[in-house]
Amino acid sequence: MSAADVVEPSAPLSRRARKWRLGRERALTGLTVAGLFLAWLLSTHYGLVNPLFLPSPAAVWTAFVRTATEGYQGSLLHEHLLASLGRVLTGYVLACAIGIPLGIVMGLSRDVKAVFDPVIEFYRPLPPLALYTLIVMWLGIGDTSKVALLFLAALPPLTISSMQAAAGVDPRFVKAARSLGAGKAQLFRHVFLPACLPGICTGMRISLGFTYTVLVAAEIVAATAGLGWMIWDASKFLISDVVIMGLFVLALTGVALDFAIRRCERALTPWRFR
Amino acid sequence: MTTKRTSLWTLAALAAGLVFAAPAGAQDKPAAITIGYLNLVNAQLVTKALGLHEKESGVPIKWVKFGSGGDVNRAVAANQIDFGGVGNPPFAIGVTRDLPYTGIFVLNMLGPVEALVVRTDKNIKSMKDLVGKQGGAPFGSTTHYLFIAALREAGVDPNSVKLLDLSPSDAVAAWMRKDIDAAWVWEPNLDKMVKSGGEILLDSGEMAKRGYPTWDIGVVMNDFAKKYPTAVAAYLRAECAGIDFWLKNPEETVKLVAKELSLPEADAARMIKGTRVVPCAEQITADYLGTTQNKGKFADTMLATATFLKDQGRLPAVKSLADYAGFIDPGYLQKVVGK
Repeated sequence: MSAADVVEPSAPLSRRARKWRLGRERALTGLTVAGLFLAWLLSTHYGLVNPLFLPSPAAVWTAFVRTATEGYQGSLLHEHLLASLGRVLTGYVLACAIGIPLGIVMGLSRDVKAVFDPVIEFYRPLPPLALYTLIVMWLGIGDTSKVALLFLAALPPLTISSMQAAAGVDPRFVKAARSLGAGKAQLFRHVFLPACLPGICTGMRISLGFTYTVLVAAEIVAATAGLGWMIWDASKFLISDVVIMGLFVLALTGVALDFAIRRCERALTPWRFR
Repeated sequence: MTTKRTSLWTLAALAAGLVFAAPAGAQDKPAAITIGYLNLVNAQLVTKALGLHEKESGVPIKWVKFGSGGDVNRAVAANQIDFGGVGNPPFAIGVTRDLPYTGIFVLNMLGPVEALVVRTDKNIKSMKDLVGKQGGAPFGSTTHYLFIAALREAGVDPNSVKLLDLSPSDAVAAWMRKDIDAAWVWEPNLDKMVKSGGEILLDSGEMAKRGYPTWDIGVVMNDFAKKYPTAVAAYLRAECAGIDFWLKNPEETVKLVAKELSLPEADAARMIKGTRVVPCAEQITADYLGTTQNKGKFADTMLATATFLKDQGRLPAVKSLADYAGFIDPGYLQKVVGK
């Protein structure tokens, strides 16, 4: 579905041609996945790589089952997952609640933009880990500092995309609505919001993806549960099957989150997907 | 499309070239040497400050500082250093996991330089008082191992203490904010906690007397040692010269260490007292590495450490004593000290 959305055929294709094309794309995707898996299977089976660096698929699967049923260092796999999701979503939802309205206001008022822009532009390019040492000193080693780091990672993409979306609303729409007698509330509800939503949604998607990538960094200091921590701790003890299993869980969860937010996007801005 | 394909092929060709080019240039001298050193107080600081490695090997030396042995193990797994240093628990972990390195000399025996510091106002007088308290140690290091060992010795369930994975510098930050009540770390960070409302409850020297010796061992990557045996000998000559200097010139050593760590000389002097550095000739006796024919007590300590870590669910299996002894090679040092 997504691939078909992105690829814009130069000439309109017939239904059959489109179906064939979609089938071909899926087959190619399947081939890549199968090929990678086969390479993994064979290279570990024939001992081509040190199992420390690349454990076999069977070892990773065993690590998955073991962690799901017996746990890793005191927490079951789903508990690690929930701890991480809790942190990511708390930071992300807070960032949405503050970042989106702030971005819209910044897009509409150049004065507000002048106030907040330097702050966001200054810390945005900082690597999360560098920022984290300072946050730990300020907020301690508990969950507050972890959520704060995720919040700070989530904020800039949200604010910037909301700002651009609000600033980019076609003035003709505004004029047209005004001439029809729309008040401020109506203008916001019926013109600004629908016009901004696609841009905001894109920002939300980018932001969630970025926040998720900061998770491991956020859980390095003094966590006792969480997927990122599990991967970090296992790498300290060179337990590579747990590391790779953790990465798979992390990746699949990331894909699921992205899928969920795309669904939201479809529900909120249905006209873009017609 | 075409450009993309071409660049991909170029990339693949480059990668293949790198893989095959690496072992081709075998010479007796490497172009440069990367030494990973632990952020603690021992004679390696003197060796570094005096530039002894540059003198002995005649090639540029790159020093990389590591917070704990667990990080060194990662760097070894990624093949990013030539020489490194690890404590016995990370060494036992690395060896059990078949990391391609070998222990070649004793960096130091751990004594009061590592200690369990507790918050004075919390009235913690024994290990039992730590139940329900928040503690910190770098996981996988000597002090994490001793923290759990000391709790078990005192009959306290290690799970009844909230133990957090903190590097010594993070532990200081957490301590200053009163997030933790106890931490087992090493100098120079240990002192910062003692100075801000802490007192020492137990130290690694005391644990050694109770049968939990801890030490840091200098390691070399196997491929490097095979390719440049003379560079390994030069490395050990420099380290032994540093150890000699440390033992024979205590006043100069204090000055050098104080400068390396940006500390007042009085603090450096105390930290130096807490570390025991072993003369190279003594390192090949039964109490330490032993000889290639008769391996010393270090191998026994590794087996004991690995067994302990397996009980903690940190290692899947334990190797045999002979296997652990195989990862210690006193041969290079024997040649350097002429025995």
